[in-house]
Amino acid sequence: MRASPAPAEFSPVPARTLAHVFLRSLFLQATWNRRGMQNLGFAYAIAPALRTIYPDPARREEALHRHMGFFNCHPYMAAAILGGAIHHEERVAAGLEPERAPQDYKLTLQGPLAAIGDGFFWTALRPFFGALGAVGALVLGLGAIWAVVIVYNAIHLSLRIALFRAGYTRGDELVPLLARLTLPVVADRLRTAGAGLAGVAAGIFVLRGALSLGPWAGGLAALLAVLGYAALSRGARLVTTVYLAAAAGTGTAVLLAHLPGGR
Amino acid sequence: MAYLILGVVAGLAAIERKGFLQAMLSRPIVLGPVVGWALGDPAGGLLLSVPLELLWLGAVNLGAAVPVHEALGTAGVVGGAVLSAKRMGAPLTPEIATLAILVAVPVAYLGRLGEKGVEVFNERIASRAELELSDHHLRAATRCNLYGLGASFLLSAVLAPAAAALTARVVPAVLRALPALASPLRVGFFSLAAVACAAGAKALRARAVPVSFFGAAAATAVVGLASVLAGRAL
Repeated sequence: MRASPAPAEFSPVPARTLAHVFLRSLFLQATWNRRGMQNLGFAYAIAPALRTIYPDPARREEALHRHMGFFNCHPYMAAAILGGAIHHEERVAAGLEPERAPQDYKLTLQGPLAAIGDGFFWTALRPFFGALGAVGALVLGLGAIWAVVIVYNAIHLSLRIALFRAGYTRGDELVPLLARLTLPVVADRLRTAGAGLAGVAAGIFVLRGALSLGPWAGGLAALLAVLGYAALSRGARLVTTVYLAAAAGTGTAVLLAHLPGGR
Repeated sequence: MAYLILGVVAGLAAIERKGFLQAMLSRPIVLGPVVGWALGDPAGGLLLSVPLELLWLGAVNLGAAVPVHEALGTAGVVGGAVLSAKRMGAPLTPEIATLAILVAVPVAYLGRLGEKGVEVFNERIASRAELELSDHHLRAATRCNLYGLGASFLLSAVLAPAAAALTARVVPAVLRALPALASPLRVGFFSLAAVACAAGAKALRARAVPVSFFGAAAATAVVGLASVLAGRAL
C-alpha cells in the first residue's frame, strides 16, 4: 500500500463524468457471479470517475483493485453507494482519508441498503405496479400498461438519480437521511394495496367467466381461487397449483358436459 | 423468421431483467404484449400477460436467490400461443392460452437452472477481468463486465423459441384431435387466471393481504354483477 500524499485541495469529478458513471451503473449486474456478485459491475461503473480522480495510472490501478472486491446490493440502492464511493475516493486522492475509506463505506452500507431496496422496490413497489398494470389491462387495455410503466420508471429513475447524487454530495451523511425515510411503512401499504388489485383482477376473471360460460364457471373460478390461496399458504408449489387449477377447471367442465342435460 | 424475432426479443428481455436497467420491461405484463406485437398479435399477448404477471408477481431477485425466469417463461408461453393460433388460422382464444401455459410454463423453471449456469460462467469472466487488471489493462478489465450480457441473452434466445416451437406443435395437435376439449379448456383458462391472482396476492407478504385480496375480489364481483344487471357492459 502506498503512503497517502499530504492533504491537498481536490478538484471534484465533473458533472459529465458523474453522468457517465450513473449510466454505467445501469449495467451493475451484467456479470453477476457467485464469488464477487456485483464486483465487476461496480468497477465498470466507477472507472470513469477513477480516471478523473487519479491521473497517475499506478494509483488509478490501486483504486480499481479496491473496487474489484466483493460487492452486492440492490441495483437501485447501489447508486447511493456508488456516489458515496466517488465522494470518498476524491478524499483519498487528496490525502484527507485513508485508502480503506471507500471500502469501509461500501462494506458498511451494502447490507442495510440491499435490505431496504429488496423490501421496498422488489417486494412492494414493483409488484404493486405489476398488479396495477394487470387491472389496467383488464379494464382499459394496452394503453394502461404503458401508463403504468412510465409512472413506475419516473419514480424508479428519479429515486435512483437522487440516491446517486445524495451519496456523492453527502457521503457518510447519507445514513441519517435514509433513516428518516419511512420506506418500510410505505412498502407495507403498497403490498396490501397490491393484494387488493390482485383481488380486483380475480373478481373480473370470475365475472367474465360467469358471463361468457355460465354462472357455474365463475363460481368454479372463485372456489379455485380460494383453494389455491389456501394451498399456497400451506406451502404448495406454484407450478403444481397452476396445473391442478387448470385440470380442476377443465375436468369439471368435461364432467358437467357428460351429465344428463349437460352443458 | 418468427422464431428468430422471438429469440431476439426474449434475449433482450433477459438482459433487461437482470443485467441492464430493470425498468419492468421484461415483466410479463409488458413483455406479453411486446412478444405478441413482434409476432403480429398484440391482443393475444395481452390476453396472456395479465395471468402471467399475477402468477409470477413474486418472482424477484433477492440477494443470491435465483427466482423462476418469468421473462423467459412469458416469451415461451406467449410466443407458443401466438404461433399455435397462427398455425390453426384462428385468433388466440382462451383454450389456446390454457394449453400454451401448460406446455410452455416449465421453460421458466428450466431458465432458472440455466441462470445458475450463467452465474458460474460469469465467474470465469470475473477471473479474466482480474487477470487483465494484474496485467495493467484497466480498460480491458472493466470492459469484461459487458461480456456477461451475452450468456443471459443466449440462454433466453435459444430456450424461448424452443419452448414456443414445442407449444406450436402440441397445442394445434391436441385441439384438432380433441375438439370437444375446447370449451372445457376455456373454463380452465378462467380457473387458472383466478388462481394466478391468488398466487399474486400470496406473494405479497403483509398482514392485511388476505382481507385486502378477498375483500376486493368480492366487492368487484358484486359491483360488476350490479353493473351487468343494470345493463352496463363489464
